[in-house]
Amino acid sequence: MAVTREWSGHDVAAALEAAIPGAVAKADAVACFIKPERLIEAMHALRSGAGTDFVHLTNLCGVDYWDHFEVVYHIQSFVKNQICTIKVECWDRDKPSVPSVVPVWHGAWMQECEAYDLFGIRFEGHPNLHRILLWDGFPGWPLRKDFLSMPGGLQPGLNEFSGIARREAPPVRPVND
Amino acid sequence: MALPMLLTDHWYDIRDLSNLTNPLLDFVGDNISSELAYILGPLIGFIASFLIFVLPSQLYVGVYGERKLIGRIQSRLGPNRVGPFGLIQPIADAIKLMQKEALTPKTADTIIMNLAPVVFVAPAVLLFAVIPFGPRMIVANVNVALLYYLAVSSLPVLAAFMAGWSGNNKYSLFGAMRIVAMSISYEVPLVLAMLGVVLFTDTLSLQGMVLWQKEWDIWVGMLMPVAFVIYFICVSAELNRTPTDIAEAESEIVAGYLTEYSGMKWGLFYGMDIGYALAASAFAATVFLGGWSMFGLDKIVPPWLLLVAKTHLFYMIFIWTRGTLPRLRIDQLMAFAWKFMLPVALANLLLVATERMLWVDAFDSKQVFLFLFMIVNFASAAAIIYAWARFLGYKPENHPTKPRLVKEAGGYVPVGREVR
Amino acid sequence: MTDTIKSEPFVLNIGPQHPSTHGVFRIKATVDGEKVIDAEMVMGYLHRSMEKLAEERTYTQNIPFTDRTDYLSSMSNNLGYCLAVEKLAGIDVPDRGNAIRVIMAELQRLASHCMAVGAFTNDTGAWQTPVMWCFREREKILDLFEMTCGARLTCNYMRIGGVAFDLPAAFVPAARKLVQELPAFIDEMEALLVANEIFIARTVGVGVLTPEMATNASLSGPMLRGSGIAWDLRKADSYCGYDKYDFEIPIGYRGDSYDRFVVRLEEMRQSVKILKQALDGLPGGPHSTQVPLALRPPKGEAYARVEGPRGELGYYVVSDEGPSPHRFHIRPPSFINLSALKEMTVGGSVADAIVVLGSIDIVVGEIDR
Repeated sequence: MAVTREWSGHDVAAALEAAIPGAVAKADAVACFIKPERLIEAMHALRSGAGTDFVHLTNLCGVDYWDHFEVVYHIQSFVKNQICTIKVECWDRDKPSVPSVVPVWHGAWMQECEAYDLFGIRFEGHPNLHRILLWDGFPGWPLRKDFLSMPGGLQPGLNEFSGIARREAPPVRPVND
Repeated sequence: MALPMLLTDHWYDIRDLSNLTNPLLDFVGDNISSELAYILGPLIGFIASFLIFVLPSQLYVGVYGERKLIGRIQSRLGPNRVGPFGLIQPIADAIKLMQKEALTPKTADTIIMNLAPVVFVAPAVLLFAVIPFGPRMIVANVNVALLYYLAVSSLPVLAAFMAGWSGNNKYSLFGAMRIVAMSISYEVPLVLAMLGVVLFTDTLSLQGMVLWQKEWDIWVGMLMPVAFVIYFICVSAELNRTPTDIAEAESEIVAGYLTEYSGMKWGLFYGMDIGYALAASAFAATVFLGGWSMFGLDKIVPPWLLLVAKTHLFYMIFIWTRGTLPRLRIDQLMAFAWKFMLPVALANLLLVATERMLWVDAFDSKQVFLFLFMIVNFASAAAIIYAWARFLGYKPENHPTKPRLVKEAGGYVPVGREVR
Repeated sequence: MTDTIKSEPFVLNIGPQHPSTHGVFRIKATVDGEKVIDAEMVMGYLHRSMEKLAEERTYTQNIPFTDRTDYLSSMSNNLGYCLAVEKLAGIDVPDRGNAIRVIMAELQRLASHCMAVGAFTNDTGAWQTPVMWCFREREKILDLFEMTCGARLTCNYMRIGGVAFDLPAAFVPAARKLVQELPAFIDEMEALLVANEIFIARTVGVGVLTPEMATNASLSGPMLRGSGIAWDLRKADSYCGYDKYDFEIPIGYRGDSYDRFVVRLEEMRQSVKILKQALDGLPGGPHSTQVPLALRPPKGEAYARVEGPRGELGYYVVSDEGPSPHRFHIRPPSFINLSALKEMTVGGSVADAIVVLGSIDIVVGEIDR
């Protein structure tokens, strides 16, 4: 029975420590946390370093843990049939920023755009970071936990947020001009 | 060429419907000044041919029959709600279209946009003037009917270009550009194919061609299969029928030059598209399938009925290809016209010209040699098509493949190293 | 030609209202004549913020949301989500439940591939005929779904710990009959299209993806397999007891649109093969384990994925011991499969761009979520 081998965070940390010492921030049973400033190096090592070939970035998403954000990467190897979880923590809630992994995997392009769109995490070095699902100028970052509990009450509806001017309706052109 | 007096001219002989209109024409000729009679006479002919042929064909073969047949091809029922077997559906469609608002975009060139459907309609009606429905049933027995037909049948391209340009829509513009490029390319092999027919039958008159086929008891389509096939492909390209409907390719450019049209303005385009297809089918039936003559059967069955039947059969092929084939890309279509159709048309012309010369000069115009030529031409057509498919146009990567099957998941499997 | 004729590129909006974008998806293509020189994707017209909504509902209440992401393969979506929650909460599924899940997932793959194949051929211009044939077969599968769970499109059939109801008595004979009929239909489609000269001319060499590109762009499913990478999660990560069934992974030669099309057709054959085995070896016993209605999985996270019809369908669920997930993330295959759209379309003509988009087989509900 073929089952994908899921690397624990400690396995990944051990492999990474051998390749790039000092890149790992911490590791638990599920995931390996990498220091943001060493992320690209570490990902390159995991993708095409000695002993690892995680060539396929399966999943990339952000998670809001109230006090900090995590960006979660699930990467897998086809030949060895392995998958591992990499995380990056981001403690600055006002201007969250994580290096972009687009240089490593092209497939991160759209997923990073999505994480930026919904969490407001800036991926530094992304070639074209824009709001992909919502429109430009959408107030706030909807998947953040505090999205609906802004000052001014819990009223849903975009015009209720403080600090955001009510949008003017676009002028209607007369039909016969 | 004298018309053989096949039919009586009693008014009750419906084998020739002109027996019914002739008294009217005589009355017009006798009582009205000749200038007016020149106008009224053809008008009566037009109305008669419109009533017996164009309108019923358009409604019941072009709209109802096409929808029903395509429905069967697609394992659906087709229209079956309005009236018995859905027979009133085309009329209901027409009423619906007339009720619809004909929108004009604000940025459109209104005059040209409204003019385009009108320009599109007129040639479709004019085309039927030279189609002989019977020995005497022809509105205008012009001696250059073929030239007239080819000239008039390329007019709708102008209307289509007007429609595409005036809508101020990028998709319309795409459609307009495509139709112009395509019809310029496909006119050339079409005319070359027709040239072979003209060479052999020695006439430009459509009635003359029918009589030639009647005289020698052979159809031009049988004598020159290559010309027939070229005609079919070229005319389906000019009429925007699948697989060459790139000018209004629904899945690519929405509706091509018709994108901005709605209501009856669109309805005119739609109806007249069928009109052109019917005219092209009638033309093909006349030139290639013996027209109103059918190996003596035309003495019993009304000749006009034979022509209508042949026309509708030819139109069925259009419907059939529409229901079954995917669409070509524009560059492939152009390459097909210039790289395949044109050389083949030229080769066909050369062959036919040689045969004509041999037939008249060496073989003394004997009928049996026509059948010999028929066999030679069929063989050469098969050879050309086979050689093209097997050698000239063959690309190894275009060979249909089945996917490889592997048992185990893993990385990239290079071709030829599958692990079963 | 290009030196003498000066032309000006202009922007052509393919979509959001376009017959071939399969929903409200838009390609902002810069075209030079008929040639596409740049393509930008614009999406989000159907964004319903499912990931946010799911954070406020219980784990069971979220199952209907998964129906509505990829509305053409709701069973597979249900399955992926239920697997993720089961992995998170450590719930085992009885054998019969697993077998029913496999049957449903494979039927759903057949239905979805019918749609994909039909819509793709429609994009190449085969005017509605293959689509209608495919719809005819898909209808039979949807009838089976209706028989089982009362719904045809958004089934909401899988539950955490199994499936909602046991199969009705008439299901197995009806499914057997369908399984016997389907190969003839697949043969029919092959006869109509696979060796069709025009179809080959339109699709071979269009939208070529090298294996490196396909891997690097995170593609999955038939897109990946069309490029010659043997990767199928049913084989690689045999969830739901897929290792008990004998089937093969079809892979393509060149990675063009044609390969993706024939790979889908062959996958339908393999699905029929799996269905036959699953129906023959359907075990008895309970169809589901008892799971508390207000499920509170232990703190932690789980990423489970299934091989959906469009590719790897992943669900990432984070629990904070509450009744609803702390984070609910869908890895949508058709969204990520679009990563390589620009690379595939630029340089081709507008007609090619449509064919490429059709061969990706997008579902806009899943792209925008």
